[in-house]
Amino acid sequence: MKATKKLKFSYQLPEKAPRIDTLLDDLMSVTPEIDPERAVLITESYKENESLPVIKKRAKALEKILKEMNIVIRDNELIVGNQTTKPRSSPIFPEFSNKWLLDEFDTLAERDGDRFLISEKTKETLKEVFDYWDQSTTNELATSLMTQEALEAMDAGVYTVGNYYFNGVGHVCVSYDEVLAEGFNGIIEKAKAAKKELSFGNPDDTPKRHFLDSVIITAEAVIEFAGRFAEEAEKLAEKTSDNKRKKELLEVAKNCRNVPANPASTFHEALQSFWFVQLVLQLESNGHSISPGRFDQYMYPYLKKDLDNNEITLEKAQELLDTLWVKFNDINKVRDQASTDAFGGYPMFQNLIVGGQTPGGQDATNLLSFMCLEATEHTKMPQPSISVRYWDKSPEEFMMKAAETTKEGLGMPAYYNDEVTIPSLTNRGLTLEDARDYCIIGCVEPQKMGKTEGWHDAAFFNMAKVLELALNDGKDPMQDYKQLGPKTGKASSFESFDEVMDAYKNQMEYFVELLIHSDNCVDSAHAERAPLPFLSSMVDDCIDEGKSVQNGGAHYNFTGPQGVGVANVGDSLAAVRKLVFEEKEISIEELENVLANNFDGHEALRQKLLNNAPKFGNDIDEVDELAREGALIYCKEVEKYENPRGGSFQPGLYPVSANVPLGAATGATPEGRLAGTPLADGVSPVGGRDQNGPTAAVNSVAKLDHHIASNGTLLNQKFHPSALEGENGSRNLNALIGSFFDQKGFHIQNNVVSGDVLREAQKNPDNYKNLVVRVAGYSAHFVSLDKSLQDDIISRTEQCF
Amino acid sequence: MFLKGCPLDCPWCSNPESKDKDPQIMFNPNLCIDCKKCIEICPNNAVDFNLRGRIVRDKCNLCMECVDHCYSKALSIEGIEGSVEELLFELNKDRIHYRRSNGGITFSGGEALYQSDFLLELLKGCKANGWHTTIETAGYYPKETLEKIIPWTDLFLYDIKMIDDGKHKKVIGVSNKRILANAKFAAASSADLVVRTPIIPGFNDDKESVSEIAEFALDLKGVKRIDILPYHRLGEDKYYGLGQKYQMKDIESPSNEKMEQIKELIIKKGIDCTIGGVE
Repeated sequence: MKATKKLKFSYQLPEKAPRIDTLLDDLMSVTPEIDPERAVLITESYKENESLPVIKKRAKALEKILKEMNIVIRDNELIVGNQTTKPRSSPIFPEFSNKWLLDEFDTLAERDGDRFLISEKTKETLKEVFDYWDQSTTNELATSLMTQEALEAMDAGVYTVGNYYFNGVGHVCVSYDEVLAEGFNGIIEKAKAAKKELSFGNPDDTPKRHFLDSVIITAEAVIEFAGRFAEEAEKLAEKTSDNKRKKELLEVAKNCRNVPANPASTFHEALQSFWFVQLVLQLESNGHSISPGRFDQYMYPYLKKDLDNNEITLEKAQELLDTLWVKFNDINKVRDQASTDAFGGYPMFQNLIVGGQTPGGQDATNLLSFMCLEATEHTKMPQPSISVRYWDKSPEEFMMKAAETTKEGLGMPAYYNDEVTIPSLTNRGLTLEDARDYCIIGCVEPQKMGKTEGWHDAAFFNMAKVLELALNDGKDPMQDYKQLGPKTGKASSFESFDEVMDAYKNQMEYFVELLIHSDNCVDSAHAERAPLPFLSSMVDDCIDEGKSVQNGGAHYNFTGPQGVGVANVGDSLAAVRKLVFEEKEISIEELENVLANNFDGHEALRQKLLNNAPKFGNDIDEVDELAREGALIYCKEVEKYENPRGGSFQPGLYPVSANVPLGAATGATPEGRLAGTPLADGVSPVGGRDQNGPTAAVNSVAKLDHHIASNGTLLNQKFHPSALEGENGSRNLNALIGSFFDQKGFHIQNNVVSGDVLREAQKNPDNYKNLVVRVAGYSAHFVSLDKSLQDDIISRTEQCF
Repeated sequence: MFLKGCPLDCPWCSNPESKDKDPQIMFNPNLCIDCKKCIEICPNNAVDFNLRGRIVRDKCNLCMECVDHCYSKALSIEGIEGSVEELLFELNKDRIHYRRSNGGITFSGGEALYQSDFLLELLKGCKANGWHTTIETAGYYPKETLEKIIPWTDLFLYDIKMIDDGKHKKVIGVSNKRILANAKFAAASSADLVVRTPIIPGFNDDKESVSEIAEFALDLKGVKRIDILPYHRLGEDKYYGLGQKYQMKDIESPSNEKMEQIKELIIKKGIDCTIGGVE
């Protein structure tokens, strides 16, 4: 093996330090558990502070958690801060929802994917805690705010707002840069200054004062939290006889004494300060997708300064970075069974993006951009979810480095197109500078860091189900033809294709309106019951406005629900138009009949629908334009509406892994899809239906309007490893990404693994514990996924050049 | 783009559907749903479920009724007729990709030169669009055929399988004299040329055969590289689907080590070499 990898940038990136594998082994040797500590502490705190306004209750609760939770410095760590006592355990957040957990106590350790161990003692403790929260959760308030029609539509699988309905919101990138530069003491000063501006005479200023007090409480709490780690490190240093480790622990202690209270003075301190922010955000609320964003931009000055002054070697810097990468995987979260179906593989979606351009429009790639990709190659773990921003001036060697990382087969990095994202964000009201400075949240959702409450994962909306209802007079064939939507006529009453489209539009209008209503109910419930002072202290303009992000304090406010099933709708519409109305090969009555019976006894007819009508993903305008139209109808409905935080709705087109459960709720569809089977993932073609190679597939996908879907779109490609071999393979991959982006595609991600390997891993999971694959906007350990999701990944078309 | 028709008869060919110049019916058993519509519809009684290739080829008059009624596409037509204009329309769909990859169109087969008049028109169309053109050929044509297309060709991928004419004749059925002479002519032309050699166990995987090919390539003007392609069996099922025999049943693909050894040997001779074109 070569000692270094030579780069054109003239940097030589170091080999992986031995410490990294030791840390990884320790981390992965533990089975995730349920840790009740946080649930107990927040409940005690609420009981102690019943009379306080909710924002202060939240602040006091976080303060108590940070003061009293068990802190651990794990062996060999250089960056410290634990979410739970044991690695990868899940804390519990009873204030959002908890009844599902009670119901699933006995299946958590047994279920197909994302297992968690739970002790009998923990069950007892949690039962007691949950009693306190009965009827007081955000979930229960949201339910009581929603109309019956909305609840029924969700039951039928027309859409789900499950993510924030049951959990915290997360989905944010805070001002890490500000904490690194000013420290929490700086934030306290800012809050104090804002308080001085308030008047006792103005009734509006009272809640502002409580908010600012809460900001100060949480900022002081996190400083004290770091102090506890300093003490612990000093204690351990005293105990150890290993001089090298003693020195390391004293360094850790020194760092924790200075940050995050004060500005970071070294790269190591900057990483430590960053980690406290990243960690405490997860302890405050269980929203996932708390994304580091443009890490290579705000962290680089600290690295550069240390390197320039010979304060650190590149080897040491890479090792520190790698240890942080391990740390990202220590964070975990338990989800209910339904959410686990939609988010399989213990994903935390901590999206970290490198490359792209500066707010001023120059290329932003630097040494740290390369080192971040290298850290992913060294650790080979699902977190952080690493992404690359691509634009016309991205350096060739950077793209070659990204291709190298892609070829590790982890499904990362994901690639994002500046040339689409920036105009799509300015179209939503961002300034040009802010749009150029976008990062990615969670899977594929762009936002300006430190200024945005994007509510990016607001819902998954089943466009294929809407088409199913449009063909059944608004009745749901999966529920004995219960009337769910408006009466728009049965399929057999349609005399032209235009009537099919009209019914689809009418159903869409109705269900999108219900979706908006559901989302806004959940949004209001969070504002009322779970405002987040710590998170808000790092998002503009919360301190200036004196209100939390949940109350509309962010500078930019959005709600982003996702349409799922683009390819199914396009393929279905094309089959109906061609075979029923144009060629009259199949009568509309016959179609209605075979769909109702899930093609039972009509396999030949199903094959005709599958093979004699064009399919999305083959660069055929006739069908691609219907997929575009089907998606546009959804997108245009969504963007009409506003949320309670004073912002607008913006559509996305990606599924996470919700294409599997939403497919399960959808009957047979006219493109030949059987009832209950998964929908197409993201804007990708239906697996196996794109038969004209990768260029045709991306050409089709690029025909969708990616600008209007400004909450993000998602294209999965799967390559056989042999297709990307050698430098040629990297160049071909980059050319494909480039030409997809030239045609105004938004995002592409690539699994590089053969179907044989995946099938083998399904059979012998023990031999493939470390196999990481791309699911949707995130990567996960393949063997931690449940079988239906594994099958869905295997069924994606394997492309070769 | 694969053009149908080939004057050679290499038993290892992985595209048997391209050898014949006319459309053929191919059967893929994995897609068949046993609906038996093909039997029902065939006017010539040319469908037999006991046959591996499903179609009784001497009874079939290619009316394509069975293919049209095979909704699962287990029966398909290999080879479609198209005009130069239609094909250029299809090729044009990927123009944006050619720009990014410095790529273009590769004409292969069968044998790209089999339909040389048609090919010439296609090449002119490509050049009018500014696309890079590559011709994959075994070179078994009169010199004039090459002469005609060279001005419109950027790169030849030129198959050389064997220098010993006796062995060439025995296995492939024709002499290689014209092939080698044309190689010299094409190499000396304005187009670039890469030598391609399929490595067939028991035919040309010995030191002597490989050395001779390397030495021949070294003498070609401006030729910088040989791509060696390991024999593979991916075409086997297609032979059965066309109702044909596969003659290479007992031949295994060469191992990676074997391919590396051959690559070494060629590089030692003083010319660059890749396995499968991977740099």
